[in-house]
Amino acid sequence: MTLRIGVVGAGGFGRAIAQASARHGHEVVVWSRKDRELPDPIETSTDIESVRGCELIFLAVPARHAIEAAERLGEVVDGRHLMVHISRGLIGPELKTITKVIAEKTVCRRLGALAGPLVADALAEGRPSGAILGTGFPELTAMVREALGGSKLRVYDTPDVVGVELASATVGFLTVVLAYADEVGVGPSTLAVLATRGMVEVSRIGQTLGAEESTFMGLAGLGDLIAAVAGDERPEIRLGRALAKGATLSSAVGEAGAYIEGIEVAAQMMEHARRLDLETPISSTFVALSQGRISSDDAIQALMERRVGRE
Amino acid sequence: MLKRFLSERPLRLPHLKPYVPRPSDPSIFWFNSERDDVISDVVNRICNAHETDRARLEMALNDAAFHEIRRLEKQRDEEARDRLGYWRSMVRRIGKMDDSEQRRVLHTIVTNMARDIAGNFDPRVYRFARLTAPRLIGGVMEPRRLTEGLMAGSPASLDRVLRVQGDLDHLRNLQDRGSLVFVPTHSSNLDSIVLSQALETSGLPPVIYGAGKNLFTNPIISFFMHNLGAYRVDRRIQVGLYKHVLKLYSQVMIERGYHSLFFPGGTRSRSGMIERHLKLGLLGSAVGAFTTNRVRRVDRPVWFVPTTINYALVLEAETLIKDWLTEEGQARYIIEDDEFSRIDRWFTFFRKMVGMRGGCIIRFGEPIDPFGNAVDAEGKSLTPTGRSIDAGGYVEHRGKAVVDAARDAAYTRELGEVLAERYVKETVLMSTQVVAHVLFRDLVRQTPGMDLFTRMRLRGEIGVDAATLCRELGETRDRLFALERQGRVRTSEVVKEDSPEELLERALSFWNGYHDSTAAAREGSQIVIGDPSLLLYYQNRFVPFAEDIASPEQLKAASEIERLGVQR
Repeated sequence: MTLRIGVVGAGGFGRAIAQASARHGHEVVVWSRKDRELPDPIETSTDIESVRGCELIFLAVPARHAIEAAERLGEVVDGRHLMVHISRGLIGPELKTITKVIAEKTVCRRLGALAGPLVADALAEGRPSGAILGTGFPELTAMVREALGGSKLRVYDTPDVVGVELASATVGFLTVVLAYADEVGVGPSTLAVLATRGMVEVSRIGQTLGAEESTFMGLAGLGDLIAAVAGDERPEIRLGRALAKGATLSSAVGEAGAYIEGIEVAAQMMEHARRLDLETPISSTFVALSQGRISSDDAIQALMERRVGRE
Repeated sequence: MLKRFLSERPLRLPHLKPYVPRPSDPSIFWFNSERDDVISDVVNRICNAHETDRARLEMALNDAAFHEIRRLEKQRDEEARDRLGYWRSMVRRIGKMDDSEQRRVLHTIVTNMARDIAGNFDPRVYRFARLTAPRLIGGVMEPRRLTEGLMAGSPASLDRVLRVQGDLDHLRNLQDRGSLVFVPTHSSNLDSIVLSQALETSGLPPVIYGAGKNLFTNPIISFFMHNLGAYRVDRRIQVGLYKHVLKLYSQVMIERGYHSLFFPGGTRSRSGMIERHLKLGLLGSAVGAFTTNRVRRVDRPVWFVPTTINYALVLEAETLIKDWLTEEGQARYIIEDDEFSRIDRWFTFFRKMVGMRGGCIIRFGEPIDPFGNAVDAEGKSLTPTGRSIDAGGYVEHRGKAVVDAARDAAYTRELGEVLAERYVKETVLMSTQVVAHVLFRDLVRQTPGMDLFTRMRLRGEIGVDAATLCRELGETRDRLFALERQGRVRTSEVVKEDSPEELLERALSFWNGYHDSTAAAREGSQIVIGDPSLLLYYQNRFVPFAEDIASPEQLKAASEIERLGVQR
């Protein structure tokens, strides 16, 4: 059955979703603030009214634009719409998730978060890939599979929406950490410890917000992190390497060539952890490093000297 | 024997002349004429759901027999002697029964359950309760005025104790357009009585509500509950079918336009904290009622009214917090030996309350649809910017309204989260809670690194200079007012109007002489903490805001208090 699909945001992911949906024979309209050209039969529009008639809407904007985009969508959506976002960030010190923002700004309730080792190019070109959809609504899962799935994209699902969103947001930060560590020359063993213990650290925080530990160990967390370090050319890798070479945070961000949500996420997580008196050795060390307060040698020493216990 | 008789056999007044409801009567006046129809609707829906699936049917019967045998073997009472034989014989025969016999047994079990649950409504009892209850309660509060109160005039004592807040006109506007579902916070067994009174004085309709079967053992309460529409919930029964019948009974009643009340917290808040994790079963029944009506094209929407019941003094505070603090307490769901069952405590409690202005505030929050949206005067759902939408769209799949249990379960989970947030915003912070919080925060500051349970043993060991405490009270209250201006909290009139010194005296006076132990008392220039667990109970309402109302020096202690909400 042909679906009418709306995509909000015409960045890399927005275009890839539009192309994948169109390839599966669905009618697609892409909304963005500026005029964009996309290959036929994809429609483009700068009028938010264009998504009113869509059954399924993908919100594909960075987290920092999510509030504004959700407010625009709030003007046209109602209870009939189903919506999925693919942002990797969180909002504010209370680590507000994007689904929460959408629920506050719109009346859309059938919501989901698409995450995991999903790469825009692979999605656009139809190369085999996989993703995880966090949603409590089985009908939304069915619709996303119908829109994007087929034989080239395996869309797994979980009801742990907040887990998917938190895992996805924290992978960006862990990717920067791993790229930094690799650049300063730590070996595979240290990288493995950083990756594994880093994921445990963020999952501990996630659980205080209602997430399940297993979600961090699945496609949304470790799966995505493996894709990132295996070389899917994420800007977080460039940022981590630039920082390791001594660049300041602002120049490293410039070098990475993209807005990196991971740094903000780390600071937000630390604030949250402070309130709950949780230990966050990797996040705290990395934030201190990125602000130039400690050297990489100090960072590694501080982490290695910590008391070690049962996994 | 008497207990069982009272809890199982409704005491009803003889019907000499059947009452014919008038159009202006609330919907519940029609209940008795519909009661059998409601029961058969519930039974038929459950039997139909098991009609074609033998495995499911057999599983349901086995589950019922297994749980009932286990419960009755533990109970070893008269009910066990009566019913154990039936279930043991049934469980032996299930595998040998043919389809029609299994269906017949299911029908019998479900019918018995539905009859046991279903309430009764007698307009005469309603009128009697409406006329005399406030005066009787007022009389308990001020015995000297009992005769005067019963004869005439308004029950001034009750008015002084019970305040009602909220947009009552909005609720009154909606009551004839659909079903209102009141979902209050739960602190005390007095809640349903106090809330019924608040509905009555506010011109809001009477509601049906589920009451624990344990409450029916008190003959007076049993009589009123049986005859005022309460349906009975036996929390000891773990059978899946029973829970199904209970939810469906609630759903069918809401579908038919009966206004309802249930406590989504499931049980009284043991800790005194604002409930965060809500039980979704009965909430789901109301969401299901909305869906079913939409699918059947019945224009009878459902709206939820988040309600907070705020006491300056909680009748059962000591038992509840003790329960929370002990491991045993985690498993005790039904408490039968608390202050609620002691009539002397009722007298002391009410007299304390009436002696102090503003002891209880019922706050009705803005009504919302099952999807968490505000509604306008006509009940139309609104977007955050005030655009009107059709809530029916939420249950449509590709343009058609459909029943989808998984979808509705997800909506119910989200509704639970919305209600938990509303509770925080609609809670009215009372004088005793403010004082308890400031004192408890001082206790935490004075005992760094100590765990909660060790602190609970510090009876009479920690004191705070009264003048310092009053200064802290004043500063904390100023920060609280700043939060109130942002719409994040609400404070009672007393908290707003009293000086810090008056607030302190009021709280000490509320606590002392009612609770068995002394929460705090004045000793010279010091306020000495007597029972930290009572302070903990009253201050726990502040857990979500502790950091926001702390000075930089108090922040560490406040963070520790906020963590109380995460640890358990």
